[in-house]
Amino acid sequence: MAKYFDVSVEDIFNTMEARFRVEGAKGVNAVLAYDISGDGGGKWLVEVRDDSVKVAKTDDLSGFSVKTSADAETFVGVNIGKIDGTQAFMSGKIKIEGDMALVAASAKMFTRYSLPKKSAVTVQGIFDTLVARFQPQNAAGLDISVGYDITGDGGGQWTAVLKDGKCALETGLRDNCAVVNSVKAKDYIDLILGKLDPMVAMGSGRLKLKGDMNVAMQLPKIFAKFEPPKEEEEQELIVIKRNISVDMKYSTGPVMGKFFEGLIEKKILANKCPKCGRMQVPPREVCAECRCWAGDMIEVGPSGTITLIEIIYYSSPDPLTGETRETPYAQVHILLDGIGKEETFWHLLKNEDLADTKKGDRVRPVWSDNRVGSVHDIIHFERIRD
Amino acid sequence: MARRVAVCAVAQTGFVSNMWQKRFQQMCFETVESIVKQTGVDWNEETGIRNIVTCSDDVFDARTISDNGITDAVGAHFRGEEKTAQDGINAIAYAMACIMSGHDDVVLVVGHTKESQTESRNMCSNLAFDPFYCRDLGLDFEKGAALQARAYALKSGISETQLAKAVVNARRNAAKNPLANARELVTIEQVVNSPMLCDPIRTLHAYPVSDGAVAMLLAAEDKYKEYTDKPVWLTGWSNCMDSYFFGDRDLASNFSLKKASAAACKMAGVSDAKGAFDVVEINDAYAYQLAMWAEGLGLCDENKGGEWIESGILETGKINPSGGMLAGNPIMIGGLARAAEAVVQLRGEAGERQVAGAKRAVAQGTTGPAGQHQAVMILEN
Repeated sequence: MAKYFDVSVEDIFNTMEARFRVEGAKGVNAVLAYDISGDGGGKWLVEVRDDSVKVAKTDDLSGFSVKTSADAETFVGVNIGKIDGTQAFMSGKIKIEGDMALVAASAKMFTRYSLPKKSAVTVQGIFDTLVARFQPQNAAGLDISVGYDITGDGGGQWTAVLKDGKCALETGLRDNCAVVNSVKAKDYIDLILGKLDPMVAMGSGRLKLKGDMNVAMQLPKIFAKFEPPKEEEEQELIVIKRNISVDMKYSTGPVMGKFFEGLIEKKILANKCPKCGRMQVPPREVCAECRCWAGDMIEVGPSGTITLIEIIYYSSPDPLTGETRETPYAQVHILLDGIGKEETFWHLLKNEDLADTKKGDRVRPVWSDNRVGSVHDIIHFERIRD
Repeated sequence: MARRVAVCAVAQTGFVSNMWQKRFQQMCFETVESIVKQTGVDWNEETGIRNIVTCSDDVFDARTISDNGITDAVGAHFRGEEKTAQDGINAIAYAMACIMSGHDDVVLVVGHTKESQTESRNMCSNLAFDPFYCRDLGLDFEKGAALQARAYALKSGISETQLAKAVVNARRNAAKNPLANARELVTIEQVVNSPMLCDPIRTLHAYPVSDGAVAMLLAAEDKYKEYTDKPVWLTGWSNCMDSYFFGDRDLASNFSLKKASAAACKMAGVSDAKGAFDVVEINDAYAYQLAMWAEGLGLCDENKGGEWIESGILETGKINPSGGMLAGNPIMIGGLARAAEAVVQLRGEAGERQVAGAKRAVAQGTTGPAGQHQAVMILEN
C-alpha cells in the first residue's frame, strides 16, 4: 500500500469511524464521496446520519452530497496537516463537486488522523542494556549462566554469564544454564515494562522457567529495572498565519512613465541608448551597458516574433489575494518589430493559441478596451494566422 | 599596515518628502552620474570601478533582494556588487575593507531609500520586528524610539525645552543646506506645542518622511590622486549590535554606541572624544537622539546630553551642520548622509554652513529598533 508521509489512504478511511465526533455531526445528513486517484487511491463513501457514520469502499459514488477528488498524496497530506488544504484547493489539486459547505463541516465531524505510536522498545534493545543493568553487589559468589529463549517476531536467544561479580552477554543458549526463560517476544517486552505480571504469565504458561527456580527468583535483584527510552512526544506545534501587506505607490518616472502612457494610445514604446543604439522594452532610464541616460523613446511593434514560450501548469496563488491564475497559461518572449537587436518584450499568450504556438510564430497584442496605463492594457498576444 | 582609504567624492540627491517624479533607480543614477562627472572615474575593470557596494531595503523597495533591481542604475552591470544591510554607513565600511585588504583599488558606494513609496514607513519598520509577538503588539521604529525616549528622559532628566532646542538647531542648520528636506525655521514654542505623536515624541521631534540617494567614491591611498586633490581619509570605524528584543536590553544604556565609538576612536588614535571633532554628524531621527547619541559617542558626560544641548555647542554650527537626520534623510541612509556631510565639510565645500578649518569629523549611523545597530566613522583631511 502506497504511503505518503508514512500514511496510506486506507489508513485515513479505516480510522474514520473511530475518529467520528458525534458532537460535530449534529443534524448532518449527508453522503461524502471521495475519489482518490493515484497509487493507493480508490473510491469511498462516507455516510453521516446525525449521530452515526458509515465508511465504505465502493465503485459507485452516485448519490453523494459532496464529492472530493484529489490525488492520494494531496489527500493524505491535507488529512494529516502536511499540506495546506486551502492552497491545494486553490491550485486545483483538490476538486470539490456539490455542497461545498460540507467539506468545511467535515473538519468538525472527524478528529484529525494521527500516526499510531510505534513501540520504541525491542527485545534487542532490552538485551543491549542488560550488562549495564547488572548489579554486582547482588550477585556476589554467583557462578552461573542464565538463558533467554525469546520466541516469535523480534526474538532471539541470549545467555547472561555471571561470574566473579561480572556479567557477560552471549548470543545463543549455553547448555549449562542454571535457568532458562522461555517467552514470546511481545510478552517478554510486556513483562519487562511491567505490563504483564510474571505470576500471571507463568500461571497461563506464557512464561516458562526451566531450571533452578531459586536463581529465577533472584533475577529481578541481579538486574536493575529496564528503563524504556523516553518516547519523543510528537507535539503539535503552533503555526501562526499572517499576511504581510503594505500599500505602495510606484513612481514610473519620465522613461517608464512614457511607456505606460503609450499603452493607453495602443503604442508600445521602447527607449534607445544614445551611445550604442540598443533598445529596451519595457524602457528603463539607464542603458546598463553604456551607463548613460537613455531617454529617447521609439515606437516599436506592436507585432513581433516569439523567441521563447513557456507553459505554466502549476500556478502559485497571489500572496495578497490568494487567487490563483487558471492553468495552463503561457508566457512568451517576443522580439517586437523594429526593436533592432535581441532585447525581447514579454507578455501572456492567448489561451486558444496555446496548443500549437511555437518559437518563430508571429503574434500581435490584443488591446483592452479599458486602458489606464498598465501592463494589462494588453490583454495578451495572439497568433497572427493570416 | 593596511592601505589608507580616501573618499574622493560624494554625491547626494536633494532630500525631499516625495520625489514622485522619479523611480528610485533614477535617484541612484543621478548620484552615480555626479560621481563620474566630479572624478572622471570609469568602469575599466583593471583600473576603474569593478565593485559597487550598495545599501537599500527590501520592504521600502517592495522587492526581495532589492539590489538586483538597481544594478543598471548603480553601474553594476557585468561586475561585482554587494548589498549591505543596516545603515549605508556600513556600505562605506565594507568598501573601505575591500580597499584596505587590497582586493579593490576603487569602490563605488550607493545608498537609497524612497520612504514616500510606502503607505507608511511605520508599517515597513513594523516588519522589522518578529512576525507574531512584537509585530502583533504594534511596535515599529517610531514606537520603539518613544519607549527609548521615555527611558532616556527618566534616566537623564532631559527637558522639553532641551529637546525643542535640538529641533531648532536642526532647522537653523538645514536652512543653510540646500540639500536638506525640512528647512523651515521653528521656535522652541512651536516644538513644545506640536502635537504628540507617540508620547513623549512630538510631531516636530520626528524626522520628516524623506526620499533620497547618496553615492561616494573611495580609493586606495596610491590611487586617489587620479580622482581628487582633496582626499578625505577614513581613519576610524566600528559598529556594534545590541539585543533584538527590547526586554533584553536597557534602552537608555547606549551600550552598542559606546562600544562602537570606543573602537572607532581607538582605530583613529583619538583618546578622548570630547573636543576631538571639529564636525559632528549625529543620526538623530528623533530629537532625544541628538542628546542621547552625543552621550554614547562620548561627546559629553553620561546623563548630561540635555545640558550639552544648552551648553552653547549647538550655536557653534559644528553639531549636525547638515541639519542632521532631523532635517530629513530617509531611513537606511541616515548614517551615509552623515558621512557625506562630514566629507563635504572636510573638503571645505559646505558653503554657508562651512565649519572653518575642519580637520576631523565623526559620523554616526544607526538602524534597527531604538538604535539596535550603531556605527561610528571618523574622517580626517
